[in-house]
Amino acid sequence: MTKNSKYAIEVNNLTKRYKGLSAVDNISFTVERGEVFALLGPNGAGKTTTVEILNTIRKPTSGKVFLLGMDVTEKKYDIIPRIGVLPQGFSSFDRITVKETLQYYSRLFCRRKPDIQGLMALVNLKDKAAVQYKNLSGGLKQRLGIAVALVNDPEIVFLDEPTTGLDPLARRAMWEVLLDLKKKGKTLFLTTHYMEEAELLADTVAIVKKGKISAMGSPGELIENNADYLVVMLKSVDETVFDIVKKMGFAPGYDSHGDIKVRLTHADDVRRMLNAVREGGASFTGLNVRKPNLEEVFLKLTDDSLMEKSAGIEAAQ
Amino acid sequence: MNLHIIHANIIRANIIVSIKSFYREKTVVFFRIAFPVILILVFGTIFMERDNEIFALRIQDLDQTTSSEQLVAAIGLSRRFNITQVSPEADAKQYARDNKLNLIVIIPKNFEMSLIEKMTADNFETPVTLTKIYDPGSFGVTTKIGVLDMVLAKINQEMSGKPPLIASEPVSILKKKYRFIEFFVPGIIAMAVMTASLFGTVNVNAELLQKGVIRKLSTTPITRIDWILSNILYQFILAVVSTAVMLLVSYAVFKVSLEINAWLVVFVALDVFAFVGLGMILTRVAREAESASAAADALMFPMMFLSGTFFPVEMMPEFLQAFARILPLYYVNEGLRAAMIAVDHTAALKSALIIGAFAAVVFVFGIMITKSGGETA
Repeated sequence: MTKNSKYAIEVNNLTKRYKGLSAVDNISFTVERGEVFALLGPNGAGKTTTVEILNTIRKPTSGKVFLLGMDVTEKKYDIIPRIGVLPQGFSSFDRITVKETLQYYSRLFCRRKPDIQGLMALVNLKDKAAVQYKNLSGGLKQRLGIAVALVNDPEIVFLDEPTTGLDPLARRAMWEVLLDLKKKGKTLFLTTHYMEEAELLADTVAIVKKGKISAMGSPGELIENNADYLVVMLKSVDETVFDIVKKMGFAPGYDSHGDIKVRLTHADDVRRMLNAVREGGASFTGLNVRKPNLEEVFLKLTDDSLMEKSAGIEAAQ
Repeated sequence: MNLHIIHANIIRANIIVSIKSFYREKTVVFFRIAFPVILILVFGTIFMERDNEIFALRIQDLDQTTSSEQLVAAIGLSRRFNITQVSPEADAKQYARDNKLNLIVIIPKNFEMSLIEKMTADNFETPVTLTKIYDPGSFGVTTKIGVLDMVLAKINQEMSGKPPLIASEPVSILKKKYRFIEFFVPGIIAMAVMTASLFGTVNVNAELLQKGVIRKLSTTPITRIDWILSNILYQFILAVVSTAVMLLVSYAVFKVSLEINAWLVVFVALDVFAFVGLGMILTRVAREAESASAAADALMFPMMFLSGTFFPVEMMPEFLQAFARILPLYYVNEGLRAAMIAVDHTAALKSALIIGAFAAVVFVFGIMITKSGGETA
């Protein structure tokens, strides 16, 4: 691979083993320049290990990783100035203010005239410039982490679970910042277990399970390729509806709003089910038939048994 | 973190952040700067008393004669005792217990008679005996009795009218007379610099490692050697400030007079160099902040008490003296005293070489095992 490679990231047969166990098991993918790539997976799937190898913190057991055309194991110190990293659970010096933290990291990258004001504006921290790190909320700390990852104006930005532990409001504020980066044309490599986040931000999503990539594509493609069923939501106060659907051999459950949720494989099944409900004298007040969303696809791909279990739990409620 | 390259601008950035973090944490400032000063003030006061010590002495004169009065006056003239008379009717032992006294001297009844008898008969074989009621559990009583015996020996000799056959004249190995406080201050400097360097490094690094800051730093151009040198230089700056404050307070309060020369800077630097390196190793080996602190405690306490900081190593049993000689702080103490009191350049150089060799080994080992929180740094 050359330095003029069209890929920002190229991963070939990457494997990382710890004491015989494969945390990352022979994965390959590429990320184009300006692309937003999300590595999606449950806890322990190998996301952080993968991103840490890409960040040059860990060495692969086998396989090759190229960033901007350079081998991460050979050109670590050429790569570091050209990437920005928000590690999982970012933390900084407690007694140092937002502005000083950015000045400090700029100095580490030998930036002569860092645009500290611009960075603070980008992550909406201008009014917190003089606040010490320990006095920032979780969301503000993460936003500072993003600004720190950008001090060297990197070509690729790695964000390892950037919104984990944030409240919904802080999460949305963080998404705004990331969308802004996307607009600026930065290559973003994101690990997350929030589907909504991946769906909103990513051009390409790779779903990892036990160190392997089980599916990869745009969120639309993943849904399209894995949507081999329909999700039917029935709004009803009539408890006989649930029994009728169950008697038909389907596996109904309840969602968090108390609506009946059924996975059906064929469109004909929807018609059959609605007829049976009507014939049984039961009533419903709302109906929604849709394709599965990314979260449902993710659950299907990472743990079918989990999906079945959750349906069972919902059914039992 | 990279192993080999040194970046001056990165080291400067680290030192700025460390110093800002330091002065914004008031308790750290207290323990770093004020605590050693308090130690000097407390121990200095105790030792000043000891240097010019005038003991309180109770005397019960059961004889109440001119001779016994003259003896009391003669003891008083030695200027080593502040004498208070105890009523002859008092039970001396009970009086000592009730008043928490460690020594009462009893001049027996018929003291004058016995003295005249012996002097006229020229009989010096059996002396007239004074009784010393003392508390064996008292810390200072042995010294007090020793001083009293010396005073009595001198009175005896004057009374007998014969000059001493053997006399001694003390000649100090040092150029001028030093007080105990002046031996103590270099020890406190060595100890304070060691404790601050060791704990400062262990606490800060264990916290940064645990919080993931070191992991973040390993994704920047900072190298391992940058990081260790930043720690050493930062601790050295604080050590210089702390030492200057200790010396100023010692001079202002106790008029301590010590030689200030380049050796002082050399030993402070070596003290920092050795113990920051040791702190880096402990942080890496112990992994958890609590166990790193416990390991630092375990190393520090024996050094504090066995390296000659608070009392001379020669006071200890042989095997502990041998143990003291393998402790790095012992050589900092020895070196600083050689430089600041004896002005013995050869002795200072010898200690400097030993502590320097130790520091170099620790530094290299520290670089080898310091990681960035990941596995390859």
